[in-house]
Amino acid sequence: MGDHPLQKIAISGPTLASLIQRFSFSSGAVDGLLFGHVTHIAPSNLSDDMPSSTASDSSPLVATITGFICSGTVNSFYDSAGRVDAPALTRLLGSDSDEHRSLIGWFSGRRRTQLRPSLREFSVTASLSSKTDLSFPVRNAPIATNLAPCVFVLFGSPFQDQTIHTHEYRAHQFRTSAQSFESISIDIVNIGPAFRGHYGSFSPNSPFPLMHCEMRTSPMSEDRDDESLGQRKRVSKIQRELDMCAEGLEVGDLRRLVGPQAVNYTAGVEDLYEKMLTKIENLARLVEKSSAKVLEQENHNRNLRLKVARSAGLE
Amino acid sequence: MSGENVPPLIAAQLNYLINHFPLTVKIEQMWSGSKYYPGTLDRFTLAIPYCLDFLRWDVIYDAESPFSAPDVIFGVEDERFPPFLLMGGEGGGFLKSPKNCFSDWNSKDPTRLMFLVQQLRDQYKSYQNRRVGEVDDDRLKFEISTIIHREGIEMHMISGFEKPEEVKFAVPLMDMDINKMVPGCPWRHPQKIYLQVIYPVGKKYVSTPSAPRLKLFSTSELKALFSIEDVKLPVWVDGMCMAEYLPHLEESLEKQVLEAVTLIDVRRHFIEALAVLFGRPLEADPVFGRRTTFLAGSGVFTFMVHFFIPTQFPRQQPVLMLQSSQHFNSHGAPIKSHHLTDCPWSPRWEPSQMAERIFEYLVDEALNFKRYCNEAQLQH
Repeated sequence: MGDHPLQKIAISGPTLASLIQRFSFSSGAVDGLLFGHVTHIAPSNLSDDMPSSTASDSSPLVATITGFICSGTVNSFYDSAGRVDAPALTRLLGSDSDEHRSLIGWFSGRRRTQLRPSLREFSVTASLSSKTDLSFPVRNAPIATNLAPCVFVLFGSPFQDQTIHTHEYRAHQFRTSAQSFESISIDIVNIGPAFRGHYGSFSPNSPFPLMHCEMRTSPMSEDRDDESLGQRKRVSKIQRELDMCAEGLEVGDLRRLVGPQAVNYTAGVEDLYEKMLTKIENLARLVEKSSAKVLEQENHNRNLRLKVARSAGLE
Repeated sequence: MSGENVPPLIAAQLNYLINHFPLTVKIEQMWSGSKYYPGTLDRFTLAIPYCLDFLRWDVIYDAESPFSAPDVIFGVEDERFPPFLLMGGEGGGFLKSPKNCFSDWNSKDPTRLMFLVQQLRDQYKSYQNRRVGEVDDDRLKFEISTIIHREGIEMHMISGFEKPEEVKFAVPLMDMDINKMVPGCPWRHPQKIYLQVIYPVGKKYVSTPSAPRLKLFSTSELKALFSIEDVKLPVWVDGMCMAEYLPHLEESLEKQVLEAVTLIDVRRHFIEALAVLFGRPLEADPVFGRRTTFLAGSGVFTFMVHFFIPTQFPRQQPVLMLQSSQHFNSHGAPIKSHHLTDCPWSPRWEPSQMAERIFEYLVDEALNFKRYCNEAQLQH
């Protein structure tokens, strides 16, 4: 496992916005894990007369953050001395290991503090970077290179009250050789005319969840008798749910969208979309209601916690 | 400290820290990081004395999880300190040792924060010792080897952007317990005098190293007994080292401190002599004899006489101030005279003679002061 400098950290606008949103809506400090990949990019500005560039400029490695998990609290995968708690980390990571997204680091968000890594954040990052079992391969690397989760992004809100901005962030890479943080610039990748070229080379991905369901129309399914009864039951349940959404429309029917009969068929599909949109709207309303309930419960919990702390202090 | 807005568990730990830490720790700033309870103060900046300066560390608790251990943010210039806590030092890093305070944090134990600060400060000391030890300067290496054994010595590597590198030493002087020498000593912390020595880190091509910058410091409460501003430092001769310099300085300082202690009695005798003429004092500083106040009258005009007696008494004369008991200014405060320093004085007089001459002087001065008071009051 090497200790290679990163040139920059790329993150899509929506991902960053959603990270900041999670932080600013939480009641206290939060932490969480960052997922993505590190890619070796071929230097595009080949020139003969600029030999003097700094180490990080010349580094061909770009880390891209494509997703994150926010624990909603602190000390979610480490102890108060900052040592990574392996079982807790595994729990947070979940069982799904995905080749598209590796754990590339973590983040911490705390209100009204100096935007400098704290002692514990230093310790956690150092501990995470030293975990060889978490290291992941660098994409497109000419020589096979592995990197440990070394990215740390710190979110904060301004220390002074008078400022006009509401949040701040700073990204760091932990260098194991020097045992220190190095500031890394964050490159926000956005959609828009100015960014078109930029966005083209950027591939955010949020993998579609794996669903083991088969198409009934497939003749192949008749041959597969080795499946257990339980699995079949599960599959048919999923299929039933899917059928409910599709409302009589079958995957096979999509064939009719192409060709001469398409004109008659579009109305049917549009109708389906409309129904789907209504359903999504209903779903959104449902989520809104349950969110309100969750918030209410959280407030209640906070009050209880405060009460416990006060009574403990009075003892 | 306003105890109301600090969560009780944190307040208990802070109070313990302030009252039991062997050095004077100050809370410079307290603020809230809470979204829903912006009045709950759960983070603060501590100023911890180190090497005649202060370490300013932010201690971050979280009101949302009051049972968790706090986090610490060190100063900008100390970014190499966390790696030291992780890897350096004896036993391979403080954070890895099971004895560190974070490992078994108990929020209900009020002593925890104090032990944490103590542990971190001890670590900071060894971190600075190591940094200074790594400086490639022959003279410094020699100086360190000769004085490192002095108890309580602290050192600090000063380096910064576009600043010449310097090494600062804080050398506690004299192995004497000044607190014990003062009868009825009111000081909670042991009083000490320190010599600050700042060495420029040598450039390799300079043949004669420049003299270090020297300055005396003392703990603040010592000023009541002895003022280091009156001490003249011996000259640092070229080619000298600290091991040569310190014994002379300590010897002369020791004499001066002993003298300062005997002067307490001289001041007390003076106050007693004043009491013979002025009557019982309204107030007197019982430990150091630095202040006393008498009530005096001239006809129907009654006023108070404040005496401020310097540490160098009787070589320096006392300063007097008169305060009327009958005249008030527009703000309702009693009218006071300026500091009077022109009373007749000789350090060779007996205390009784000093008191007599001041008494005679005040008989005349009382009339001037009465006139001054009347005029001042008429203006309003």
